[in-house]
Amino acid sequence: MESSIRQVKSVKAIKVKTDRSLSEKIFLFFIYAFSGAFALICFIPFWLVFINSFAAESSIKRSGYQLIPQNFSLDAYQYLMNGRQIASSYAVSMTVTIIGTVLAVLITAMYAYVLSHPKVKYRNVLSFLTYFTMIFGAGLVGFYILIANWLHLKDSLWALILPYMLNPFFAFIMVSFFRTLPYEINEAATIDGANDLKIFFKIIMPISKPVIATVGLFYALQYWNDFFLALMFIDDYKLHPLQMMIRQLISNINIGAYVGGSQTTYTQPLPTYSVQLATVCVTIGPIFFLYPFIQRYFVKGITIGALKG
Amino acid sequence: MGMVREIVKNKYLYVLSLPGLLFLLIFAYLPMAGHLIAFKRYRLSDGIWGSEWVGFDNFKFFFMGSDWYKVTFNTIFLNGLFIVCGLGMALLLAILLNEIQKVVFKKIAQSFIFMPYFISWLVVSMMVFAFLNTTDGILNRTLAANGLDPKNWYLMPEVWPAILTVIYVWKFAGYYSIIFLAAITGISGEYYESAKIDGATRFQQIIHITIPLIRNVLIVLALLGVGRIFYGDFGMIYGIVGDTAPLYPTTDVIDTYSYRALRQLGDFSKSSAVILYQSVMGLVTILIFNAIAKKIDKDSSLF
Repeated sequence: MESSIRQVKSVKAIKVKTDRSLSEKIFLFFIYAFSGAFALICFIPFWLVFINSFAAESSIKRSGYQLIPQNFSLDAYQYLMNGRQIASSYAVSMTVTIIGTVLAVLITAMYAYVLSHPKVKYRNVLSFLTYFTMIFGAGLVGFYILIANWLHLKDSLWALILPYMLNPFFAFIMVSFFRTLPYEINEAATIDGANDLKIFFKIIMPISKPVIATVGLFYALQYWNDFFLALMFIDDYKLHPLQMMIRQLISNINIGAYVGGSQTTYTQPLPTYSVQLATVCVTIGPIFFLYPFIQRYFVKGITIGALKG
Repeated sequence: MGMVREIVKNKYLYVLSLPGLLFLLIFAYLPMAGHLIAFKRYRLSDGIWGSEWVGFDNFKFFFMGSDWYKVTFNTIFLNGLFIVCGLGMALLLAILLNEIQKVVFKKIAQSFIFMPYFISWLVVSMMVFAFLNTTDGILNRTLAANGLDPKNWYLMPEVWPAILTVIYVWKFAGYYSIIFLAAITGISGEYYESAKIDGATRFQQIIHITIPLIRNVLIVLALLGVGRIFYGDFGMIYGIVGDTAPLYPTTDVIDTYSYRALRQLGDFSKSSAVILYQSVMGLVTILIFNAIAKKIDKDSSLF
């Protein structure tokens, strides 16, 4: 009896399935079409920048940016490499990113470890001090006066490094990771006579590689992509990071083409479109070179940070 | 004395926290003194402490004009658009990507969708300029090729909320879709199995299983976004709009406004008043919406 009911049910299910298979197919088509289209929209600007950085300037001037330019040339890169700015900007960005990331990861990990440590009586006070900076900022003016007037860091690379050394959000990502480590490790090491410094550097740091990689990437990306600090504190061209170089290239052409070929004329030769694009390629190059690695750790980090932080 | 004993007992741990703590005191707490300037007529030579007190004059000046309303409206309006469209698109993408069975397609699509997250706003700005600039922009070239009149996009403030929203969605949909995907992956497969046995189509499964089960993640992300609604994204707005004054009516947010007051007008007091207004409003909204987020899901609130 029961089995016959089940049979009827399954026959019904099959029938329903065939009825719906057309709408399922349409739905499936929509899924692939939509996500494929969105992925292409995300990708095409990168392709345009990349391929047109190899386009001859005349080709861009004649027919605009194209998916496949008519004439290719290496002029833009040659022009870029002949100038001095790209080398110094690259050196500045690299220095700031490397020194900044190493210091920031170290300071953040040390700080987060203390916040996560059950032995520390004042860890909640420290946590609150950290949280509070996330919800009530000092604001631009105080920050500007601090860097420029009190610390005298204008036109110094430290102005690009120091302000980002401890990001509370990244610190809390690390805290939530450290909390997952078994406390027995700590106890065992203490019995063996290791002090907290030794435990942190010899035991905790080595087993925390995944979270260190994730937070390190967050920091590196922040340092590499930032232009706010340079905009505020760096006037000297020699200390311009790559992002500021891009800004300079945009704002020089601004007047000419932005506001519809207006009156203003520049006496200096205008930087060309392809040079702009080549600068962008050189700037985002390292990110895409490391993209598979970056993507893996970022996905991990976002997932931890968003669902737990 | 308890404090000293505690610090001596765990001296190495407190040593570890020292650089971070010093950083917070110097870079986060010390500059809070800057808020005092909002009540002073700041002169560089007199410094923060020496400048003359003027009470609420700077605020009066700011609130009497029409600027405060304009920048507040723009900040909230743009952020509102970003939250709704950004999260909406991310949710849709996450659901669709989750349905895709072809691993290679899914991997490539995800890599592409995630790409814009990694580039700086100035790179984005360069791309936007390539699309929209008046003489050689892709959009105007396309319009011209189809017999339509090219437009001066950088002189048309009315279209920029839409343009900025498209840019925001383009840049962040991938990022948020990863959060949603993580939540979807966490849904037990049993729900889908039993739905399948009952003959539910994939579409029905999405509507009746996936969406209800990740609703909390969506609400919490939205509330956290709303909590920060008084903070404009300086890097985005200033990176893309820059000093293009014709676009200020719809794109100028509190952050870009106070930046210009400080760096271009050199008016520390006015900038400071605007920033204190923003910080206080920001603090109040964050506390309110964080409390709401906490009620909905106590693990997902910011603190």
